[in-house]
Amino acid sequence: MKELTVRVSRFDPAKDESAHLESYTVNINEGARVLNVLHVIHDSLDPSLSFRYSCASGQCGSCAVRVNGEPVLACMEEARDGITIEPINLPVKKDLVVDLLPTLEAIAFLQPIKDAKLPDKSTIDAIKPLKDCIECLACVSVCPAVAVTKFLGPTAMRQEMRLALDPRDSGDRITDAVRNGLFTCTTCQACWKVCPKEIEIPAKAIEKLRAHANRKGLTLPRHLEVAALIRETGRSVPRTGVTFFEQIGEVLEPYGPVKATVGFFIGCMYNMRQVQSALDAMEVLKRNGIRVIIPKEQVCCGSPLIRTGQLASVDSLKQRNIETFSSRKIDTVLTMCAGCGTTLKNDYKTPFKVIDINELLTQYGIEPPARLPIKATYHDPCHLMRGQSIRDQPRELIRQVVDLVEMPSICCGSGGGVRSGNPDEAAALGSRRGEEIKKTGAEIVITSCPFCEFHIAGHTDKPVKNIATVLLEGYKEKDRMKGTPQKQ
Amino acid sequence: MLADDVVDCHVLVIGSGGAGVRAAIEASQHGETVLVSKTIVGKGGCTTMAEGGYNAVMREADSCGIHIEDTLKGGAYLNDPELVRILAHEAPLRMGDLVKWGAVFDVTDTDEIAQRPFGGQRFPRTCYAGDRTGHEMMTTLVERLDGTKVSLMQEYTVIDLLMDGEAVCGAMALDEKGRFVLLMADSTILATGGGTKVYDISTNSSSGTGDGYAIGYRAGAELIDMEMIQFHPTGAVFPYDARGRLVTEAVRGEGGVLRNSMGERFMQNYDPERLELSTRDVVARAIATEILNGRGTKNGGVYLDVTHLPREQIESRLPVMLEQFLKFGVDIRIHPMEVAPTAHHIMGGLRISTECQTTLPGLFACGEVAGGVHGANRLGGNALADTQVFGRRAGLAAGMTGKREKAVDLMQIEQQQDRLDAFLSGSETPAKVRVQLQQAMWKGAGIFRTAAELRDTLRMVTNLSKANIRAASPQNLAECCILQNMCLTASLICRSALIREESRGAHVRKDVQQKHDAQTSPFGHTFLSQSREGIERREADA
Repeated sequence: MKELTVRVSRFDPAKDESAHLESYTVNINEGARVLNVLHVIHDSLDPSLSFRYSCASGQCGSCAVRVNGEPVLACMEEARDGITIEPINLPVKKDLVVDLLPTLEAIAFLQPIKDAKLPDKSTIDAIKPLKDCIECLACVSVCPAVAVTKFLGPTAMRQEMRLALDPRDSGDRITDAVRNGLFTCTTCQACWKVCPKEIEIPAKAIEKLRAHANRKGLTLPRHLEVAALIRETGRSVPRTGVTFFEQIGEVLEPYGPVKATVGFFIGCMYNMRQVQSALDAMEVLKRNGIRVIIPKEQVCCGSPLIRTGQLASVDSLKQRNIETFSSRKIDTVLTMCAGCGTTLKNDYKTPFKVIDINELLTQYGIEPPARLPIKATYHDPCHLMRGQSIRDQPRELIRQVVDLVEMPSICCGSGGGVRSGNPDEAAALGSRRGEEIKKTGAEIVITSCPFCEFHIAGHTDKPVKNIATVLLEGYKEKDRMKGTPQKQ
Repeated sequence: MLADDVVDCHVLVIGSGGAGVRAAIEASQHGETVLVSKTIVGKGGCTTMAEGGYNAVMREADSCGIHIEDTLKGGAYLNDPELVRILAHEAPLRMGDLVKWGAVFDVTDTDEIAQRPFGGQRFPRTCYAGDRTGHEMMTTLVERLDGTKVSLMQEYTVIDLLMDGEAVCGAMALDEKGRFVLLMADSTILATGGGTKVYDISTNSSSGTGDGYAIGYRAGAELIDMEMIQFHPTGAVFPYDARGRLVTEAVRGEGGVLRNSMGERFMQNYDPERLELSTRDVVARAIATEILNGRGTKNGGVYLDVTHLPREQIESRLPVMLEQFLKFGVDIRIHPMEVAPTAHHIMGGLRISTECQTTLPGLFACGEVAGGVHGANRLGGNALADTQVFGRRAGLAAGMTGKREKAVDLMQIEQQQDRLDAFLSGSETPAKVRVQLQQAMWKGAGIFRTAAELRDTLRMVTNLSKANIRAASPQNLAECCILQNMCLTASLICRSALIREESRGAHVRKDVQQKHDAQTSPFGHTFLSQSREGIERREADA
């Protein structure tokens, strides 16, 4: 037996105006789960504690709760001292019990055709991974789109895809999915990162449904425009000024000895919109011994097409980009756009290694910048944190130059074609980010994605800066204090 | 006012597992149907946890005759042969329903439903969806249910049946806040599942508390073979709080081997022909014997090993097992599992006709709460088939029953309300009583039994059932009712186990010497009701 203390969210609508945390100290067995802690509290300390459970073995999806803010199944998550147990983010009925029924009832069901027959093996194999869902609704509870728009949620889309694949179903699932919010998903990946069954809903359902929608002519007009632009120019944004490529040579030599050589995949946004961020990043790389090769025939990575289900020209983009770097025998390709990075890593099969700038700089270590007397908060780009599992590296860099105040990691609303296709939703999510930023009391917002930089800037009065820019400011301050002239 | 709410319908289905949902789907074609469930439909019950599979004759090379023989032999010839015949013949038809409704069972390279070998069967007859077969069935059934007009009352706990004289005319229930609700129906179907939660170590979900046995018994129904408790050979042993969690028979079906702490493949000593794929009663006793004789692991189990199988096979056929054990720190691709027997299934239950009619007019029963299908030991894979075959039959028969005038006897409602009021002024913590009950049952009514231990256990259970348990608030009332159901179910198990003075299938009486085997046994079903109890004698021997 061991003793531990946990805090549990308590709320009785008959008595309480809002939820509060109650602390309990319990004795539990070695290896006990969160559910066992709840049982001990209910059985020996407070029989009024309400929580839902059934199978206690991860198979029924009754007991999803948040532990330290993260949704988990109470029956599978090991109990630890000091944890906080709260309901998942759905309407709370009492204590840890949330109202699952409205969401469950809205999930589509199969409507059999007459004389339905067993599908063939390849169809079964395609459907199977989508059927592991235990409808715990952890995904719905973290979905940013559900919070601000009419979207039935990730698992409802998983089910639409499962039905769309099944020849026994008579429904028009693509039209239904579009009506139920298919294009409101920002592909932030929050849903499947909390899924106890690890069902990759954005890639395996949302993007697939969007591809079906494309074939049915249901792609949003703004998304069609982006696809047309890529077809014409190879870039997903129109030219508005001098590009990054026009200001820089094909090879950038570092100031000091070469620690590493990388090819640089710029991405449309850094090449044509957030150009200064990219220039700042080059300066930081030069100061840190990174030799950068910048082949200029590279084109859009295809992410705006893949996320919106417009796959027709994606393969040719992939081929051209891969050829661009492999023909130069480049073995490591650097990305600084979170969206391009996640696409190259997850949607491409590359003969070279793909590395994000935060990974690269922390891997080789950086020259210490001067500390700036600034309080900053960091916005995790979805396609960096969840798409590439890069969470700690940006923080490691930021803490070397400014004070960091954390805020919850939530999508800013710009991804998945939502900023162009559903601007109201994107604005609503952006405003939520603005509020979180305000709560931190930070003077600047740092991030590491051009879409996030661009979008968040419209929803906060604080400056939004790229990590590279802040590092460069640290170097400039260092140079100024030393009295040495700035390197150009 | 009679109650906080009154519902009137043609068919009332109590329970939302595989049998209850199947029954409701069928009944809804014949009139207004209400399904009441103490959990969210699709999440409660044990069907959704069922892992291994569904037995059905699907191939030319197999036959219903062999399925019947296997089931009767596995059941130690205590099964009701007519129910077995129906099970074997209708299991493929009900599988056809599931397929038509969208079930995603695994298929072979030639696009036929795949089947794996399970214990005690001479043909690989067990259809499956990985090791989440029951979950696949439940999602399919709930989707079909969504397509019917069945009204769902979710998270309502039925506490007793409503009587109109000798006939059942509905049920009394509590909602999640403890409010009293009357449900009136022309026909009522009990599909409440099993009750091995009365044991300290059990595979069951939170709903496996024996409510249906207790509710049926209190209403006057007759139950048979309640001593027949299946101890599944392979339950988890670590961590302590996960003890009893099911480790599917599919692990052995896929080729898993059992070894004791000396590394011996001990099944060679118990059933050299069928080895690990012997019937569950035999394997459970073998494991229990190895552990009792000091050849167990330090966590009190034996090893179940699949490390010799290809990783891909483990990952695709046993994904739930892999995931669960990984969560508890064991990678079954590299290390053996540790397992020990766990209370799994109650073969006994309400006596039913082939149309699932119980001994009470107006009351039907299907699924685990009904007795007779599985005899003295159930074959793995026959329970899921049972839920569908008899769920449909119960729904059909109940639905076809005519409408009738229902006169609710007000006395029973007053009595019920007095019972509930008493809980609110009770003094003992239900959890303490529950733990004592579960430990007493595990110790005294487990795998190996004697009359003396059973009598002691029955005495303890009877005392516990009289405990002055306390509901801290109206929302805790259901918990008290359920605990009393557990106590009553436990007492039915002990009483039946005392009545059956022989070893048969899952029921082993160490204190009884016998010359007969299962086939020559002079005994038939044990039976219990409020008005009589005893054991049937076979006509040939009478």
